[in-house]
Amino acid sequence: MAPGLFGYIVRRLLWAIPVLFAISFIVFVMIRAAPGDPVDTLLGHRYNEETAERLRQHYGYDQPIVQQYFTYMGNLLRGDLGISTRHTDFSAREVILPRVWVSTQLGIMALIIAFSIGIPTGIYAALARGTFLDPLTISFWLAIDAVPVFVAIPILQYLFVVQLGLFDLSWEGVWSTNIILPVAIMSLPGIAGIARFMRASIISVMTEDYVRTARAKGLRQRTIVVSHITRNAMLPMITVIGLSLPGVATGSLFVELFFGIPGIAREALQAILHPDYDVILFLVLFGSTMFVLANIAVDVAYGFIDPRVRVGQARGG
Amino acid sequence: MERTASVPREDAAESPPSKSPARRFLSSLVRKKIAVLAITYITIFYLAGIFAPLFATHDPAATQLAVEYRFQGPSSEHWLGTDVQGRDIYSRVIYATRTTLLFTLAVVLTGGIFLGLGLGLLAGYKGGWIDTAIMRIGEVLSGIPTLLLILAIAATFRTRIADLAFWLRDNTFIGDEARTLLEFMVIVGATVPFAWIGTSRIVRSQALAIRESDFVMAAELVGASTWRIITRHILPGVMPLFVVGLSGGMAAIAGTEVALSFLGLGITDPGTPSFGTLIGEGAGVRTFQAYPHVLLGAAIPIILFFFAWNLLGDALVDLLEPRTSTR
Repeated sequence: MAPGLFGYIVRRLLWAIPVLFAISFIVFVMIRAAPGDPVDTLLGHRYNEETAERLRQHYGYDQPIVQQYFTYMGNLLRGDLGISTRHTDFSAREVILPRVWVSTQLGIMALIIAFSIGIPTGIYAALARGTFLDPLTISFWLAIDAVPVFVAIPILQYLFVVQLGLFDLSWEGVWSTNIILPVAIMSLPGIAGIARFMRASIISVMTEDYVRTARAKGLRQRTIVVSHITRNAMLPMITVIGLSLPGVATGSLFVELFFGIPGIAREALQAILHPDYDVILFLVLFGSTMFVLANIAVDVAYGFIDPRVRVGQARGG
Repeated sequence: MERTASVPREDAAESPPSKSPARRFLSSLVRKKIAVLAITYITIFYLAGIFAPLFATHDPAATQLAVEYRFQGPSSEHWLGTDVQGRDIYSRVIYATRTTLLFTLAVVLTGGIFLGLGLGLLAGYKGGWIDTAIMRIGEVLSGIPTLLLILAIAATFRTRIADLAFWLRDNTFIGDEARTLLEFMVIVGATVPFAWIGTSRIVRSQALAIRESDFVMAAELVGASTWRIITRHILPGVMPLFVVGLSGGMAAIAGTEVALSFLGLGITDPGTPSFGTLIGEGAGVRTFQAYPHVLLGAAIPIILFFFAWNLLGDALVDLLEPRTSTR
C-alpha cells in the first residue's frame, strides 16, 4: 500500500469520528425534544404521576440531556445498546440484531438481483445506441422506477397471491418461496439507475484509444465488449455498488410493512411512533456509520485501483 | 468529475452562433420527442394543480355516505368513480396535484434554489473556511439515513401540531386551515435539510472550475463585487448542471410527500387530498380486489408524473453529455 494512501485512510477515519458524534448528538436531542416519552408508552392506561416519576428516575430520563447523552455514548462504546421500552422484556440489542439480520439477508438478495439485471441492461442499451432499442430499454426501467412500492405491492400481491396462488403472505423465514415477491419488489426500482450508470460508463469507454486499437487488430466484437470495454467500464460501478451497500442492512420499510416481515425498517417506524429512545438512536447511528464507512471504502478502493485518483486526493485532502 | 464545458456542444450547422446558450439548449431539448411528451404531461399536471377548481367536477371533500354512492366504478358522473366515503376520486386527484405542486415548489425554492444553489455557489466561489463549513455540514446531514430521520422529524413535530393549530386559530388571522398549514410546514421542514446537499455539491464543483477562468479574474481585477461576480459570471455557467440535477431529483422530492402522507405522517386533512392518502385508501389486497379503481385512479396520474420527470431528467443528462447522447 502506498504511504499516501495509508495516511489518507487514517485521515478519513479520524474525520469520521466527529461526524458520527455530531449526528448522534443531533438525533439524540431531537428525539428527547419530542413530547411524550417512553414512560408514557410503557405505563399506558396504568399511568400515574408517582410511578412515572420513579421510572423516569430509574431510566435516567430526569437528568440533564447532555449528561444523558454522555451516559448513553459511554455505554454504547462499551457495547451496551441500552434497553427497549417498547419490548419490555428485551434489551435493545435483542430487539435490533435479529431484525437487522433478516433485513440484511433480504437486502443482499435484492441487491444481487438488481445488479445482475441492471449491468447487462446497461451494456445492452449502450451497444444498441442509435437504435430505438436503447431509449426503449432505459425508458422501460425508468417506468418501473416511477411506480411507488406501496402501489406495486397490493397489485402484485393480488396477482400472485390471490389470483395465481403462487405464494402466501405469511412469514416463514428467509429461506422460503414467500420471499420471492418481496425481494423482487425491493430490487426492481433500483435497476433503472444501475442500467443508466452502466450505459454511460460503457459509452465513455467505447471511445478510448485501446478500444480502437483492439478493433484495428481485428479482434472479435465479443472479445472487445467483454474484455476491453466491460472490464474497464465496471470500475466506476464500484461507487454505485459501494454506496448501495449501507441500504442493504437498513431494510425496505413498505415491503416489510405489507409482507409482515420482521425486519428492521418496520421496527424503526414503530420505535419512532412509540418512542423507544435507545432503539431509534442505535438504528440512526448504525445507518450513519455504514454510510460513512461505505463512502471511505469507495474512495479507498478507487485510489487502490486507479493511481491517478490517489494523487489527486493526497493533494486535495 | 469536473466538467468545464457546461454548455452542450453542437454542430455549428444545426444552431447558428447568434443563439444564446439557453436558446440552443431549449431547441435541442425540443428535438427530443420523449422530452416534449414528458414536459407536456408535467405542464398539464401543474396546471391542474394551479387551476384545480376549474378542472374539478365535484367538491373533493363532499361525502355521500349512502351505500349506493360509495365505491362506485367510473361513470359519466364520476369519471374515476367514488371512494369509501362516496367522494369523487377524479376531483380528489385534481386537488392532490395541487398538494404535490405546493410541496415541490416549497422544497425547490428553499432546499433547491436558496440552500442548494446558494450554498453551492458560495462554497465554490469563496472557498476557504466557508467552503469547508458548508461541505462538512452537508457531509454530516448526508450521513444520516434520510427516510428514517424524515419520519422521526415528522412524527416528533406532528404531536405538537394540534395544540399549535388551536393556538394559531384563536390568536392569529389564520383560521381552520392552520392545522393543514402546520402539517405542510413540518413535512417541508423535514425534507429540506436533506434536499440541498446533492445539488450544492454539483453546483460547487462547477463553480470551482469557473472561478479559475479568465473572465472571472478580469472581473475581480476591475473590482466587481462578489455578488456581481457570482450572479453575472458564475451563475450562467452553473445553471445547466443545476437544472439537470434538480430535474433528476424532482420525482424523489414529490415522492417524499406521497410516502409521508401514505404513512399518515403528511397532510391528514380530508379536505386537502394528497396522492399518498388517496393511494392509501385503495392500497390493500382486499380493497384492490373489490374496487381496483380506487387505487388505480389515484396511482396512475402520479406514476405518470414520476415517469415524466424521470424521462425528462434522463433526456437533460443526455444533452449535457454530448459523448453519450445521439439517441
